[in-house]
Amino acid sequence: MSDYVVTMEHITKTFPGVKALDDVQLHLKAGRVMALLGENGAGKSTLMKILSGVYTRDSGDITIFGKKIEGDLNTKQAQALGVAIIHQELNMCQHLTVAANMFLGRELTKGGRLDNAEMNRQAIEQLAKLGIHDLDPDEAVGNLTVGRQQMVEIAKALLINAKVLVMDEPSSSLSNAEITEMFRIVRELKAMGTAIVYISHRLQELHHIVDDVTIMRDGKYITEGEFNSFTMDQIIANMVGHEVKNQFPRETVAKGKKILEVKHLNAGKLVKDVSFDVYEGEVLGFSGLVGAGRTETMRAIFGADPKTSGEILLDGKPLNIHNPGAAIRQGIVLAPEDRKKEGLCTKLSIRDNIALPNLDIITLGSKTGKINKKVENEMIEKGKSSLTIKMADAEDQAASLSGGNQQKVVVAKWLARQSRVIIFDEPTRGIDVAAKVEIYDIINELKKQGVGVVIVSSELPEVMGISDRIIVMCNGKITGEVDPRNTTEEEIMTYATQFGDHAAPASLSLAS
Amino acid sequence: MENRKRGFLSKPGVASVVTAFVGVIVLMVIFWMMNPNFVRQNNLMSLARSICPYLLVGIGQGIVCITGNIDLSIGSVLGMSAMISATLICNGMNVILAILIDLVACLFVGYANGVLVGKFKLPPFIGTLGTMTICRGIAQLVNNNYNTGDIGMGGLKDLFRDTFYYGRIGYLYYGVIICLIIWAIFYYVMSYTATGRHIYAIGSNVDAARLSGVDVFKTTTVAYTISAFCSFMAGLITMAAAGMGSMQAGMSYEMYGVAAAVIGGISTLGGSGLLVGVIAGASVWAILQNGLTLANVPVAMRNIIIGFIVVACVLFDIMRRNGVIGAKKKAA
Repeated sequence: MSDYVVTMEHITKTFPGVKALDDVQLHLKAGRVMALLGENGAGKSTLMKILSGVYTRDSGDITIFGKKIEGDLNTKQAQALGVAIIHQELNMCQHLTVAANMFLGRELTKGGRLDNAEMNRQAIEQLAKLGIHDLDPDEAVGNLTVGRQQMVEIAKALLINAKVLVMDEPSSSLSNAEITEMFRIVRELKAMGTAIVYISHRLQELHHIVDDVTIMRDGKYITEGEFNSFTMDQIIANMVGHEVKNQFPRETVAKGKKILEVKHLNAGKLVKDVSFDVYEGEVLGFSGLVGAGRTETMRAIFGADPKTSGEILLDGKPLNIHNPGAAIRQGIVLAPEDRKKEGLCTKLSIRDNIALPNLDIITLGSKTGKINKKVENEMIEKGKSSLTIKMADAEDQAASLSGGNQQKVVVAKWLARQSRVIIFDEPTRGIDVAAKVEIYDIINELKKQGVGVVIVSSELPEVMGISDRIIVMCNGKITGEVDPRNTTEEEIMTYATQFGDHAAPASLSLAS
Repeated sequence: MENRKRGFLSKPGVASVVTAFVGVIVLMVIFWMMNPNFVRQNNLMSLARSICPYLLVGIGQGIVCITGNIDLSIGSVLGMSAMISATLICNGMNVILAILIDLVACLFVGYANGVLVGKFKLPPFIGTLGTMTICRGIAQLVNNNYNTGDIGMGGLKDLFRDTFYYGRIGYLYYGVIICLIIWAIFYYVMSYTATGRHIYAIGSNVDAARLSGVDVFKTTTVAYTISAFCSFMAGLITMAAAGMGSMQAGMSYEMYGVAAAVIGGISTLGGSGLLVGVIAGASVWAILQNGLTLANVPVAMRNIIIGFIVVACVLFDIMRRNGVIGAKKKAA
């Protein structure tokens, strides 16, 4: 037993009304990466928050580097013992510099004055240990890509001599190249003897770095073991509690007439002469690296960002879209990338969220703009039953739902009005396997109903598994179109890295 | 990656400050052309002195804004400072003792603001609205709802008036020098100490700061206490100038503070801005008042013009930033 750096046994934690953790165990070894797997709500984050001192356990034993923790563990103690956590939503001060963030709360001073030179020197040194040599410690963190910010967080953790590093969904908002870089750093950390807990919903990427797995479900420990001793199907079955037959249930529907036509669209710096069509009965996928201009293209079509030129035709008729309201009225809707920030008013109720873009329908016929409760209730009921949204009460805050159910509420907003084209931007980011399949089922259902569906996704297996046709973008331009049934990830990535005359970046090894 | 050496203008916040100073120069040239008296020695000297209260409340409000909060009690604390000191002096108390008592009262308000906002998590707008109202009430109460009479002459009272208003060395009034020293101290705190770094950090991302071990309550309280100290000083200057305590002293000064800070490039959303800019911001405000008066613009018209110019200044800065950095989603 002594080769474990961290052991957690019989951990129990109850929140008002919910038993979040029930007799859970976890064992970490130095120099190994442990994947902590489970669906949303399985208790992974709660367990990790207990390990890092953010929450206190109700009962159970924690031993860190042979030291048995008596009583409550707080964040300071956990840090002192070498436990650091990198949160899913990065916790950086965007306005401060790289070095200032790394030393935040433990600034170096000389006679009361900040010793910026020394902090910069040590920041460079730490980053160099991770193989990063081209990051300016004086750069404001807000100017860095998400991937770079994550590197800074990791370097910050190393600065406090973290020997146990918890990474909560580190890859969820990184491009493929950045993921490759992150994996390289994880391997460096392993070589230094750091024990790593790796939480991810992207099961396809695990085999690159993971040594062991622990699987949880509904707040309970299910199993653990060496990663290689499980098949992917076994892992999924353990997470979900039953077998998932098909991770990407694509249904083939006869391709119908052209619904949406985008001609020579230009907007901002990342949408250059983009033209494409969407047909009835198909799901059109958009692939590319992060920053390729996919989201920007969709926002321009939806009227969320201004266009400089180009035409958009729906059912052959040119549209005039200057703001999202106009797009919604004319039948084009967008389920945005960031659910919590752009998709939902999280503090409002589920009811209010579904009603918000449909108030024109709900107040129809009333001169004073009075809300017709009957119409509203029907709308909510329809959304709830057709999308199987799991909720206690439509009056609950949208924030109280799990990620998958939040995404369903976003979809329900748009189902209430006969929309012609629904654009999904990263529809399954941070959603667990079972909920993902439910979202895919909804997409398939829309496709069968003759709605034009566009999905933007950075996950290659997803975009290849669910689309009928894939358009690849790079640097604001469309660089290729492929049929997902006979293409490879390599082919897509070739298009995704066609930066034009300037040589493409060095070869990208991919998560496959 | 780009060059390690970065241009002066590309440093965060510097461009806004430069814009504000350019604004100061442009305004001065305009008023000079409208009325040559504007640049006469006497006018420039009193102009510099009239900047002082705006600069002080701008420093206080600016620092609180950088933490991502706001301090609505500034004007009332200023009024309280003027009324308490004047009342005590009129009642025969030793000037130094009166000022010390006044200081303690004002700092206590700052501390209370810190407790309300930093510890009990009241929205800063509401919490300081409460202290603002209470402090104005205290300013009215201390002399039984009357302005004080003249604080009188002689001894320490003369020294007091000279130090804060009338006395000068060469072309500079002492009050201006005192304000610049206060500014320099807080500039140092904000730019070169861990406390300053924490003030920026909690304004940028309070959760990240807390998880990094920053004491959010302490940092918030420090910012509000600095603000109260600045209001206290501005109150003394106002009282020294008038030679008496007025219950109306400092009315709306919390908003003048916002204007000086924002024109100087400090974001009301927190996390960014440089204290250098407040000098320009306060100058713009004072120059407009002074220049428009010299140009014989009636008070009502002055207010309208100043309001438009403030909006134009900030609008220009936003457009410039969007032009330079690109209109993409800035982390607000």
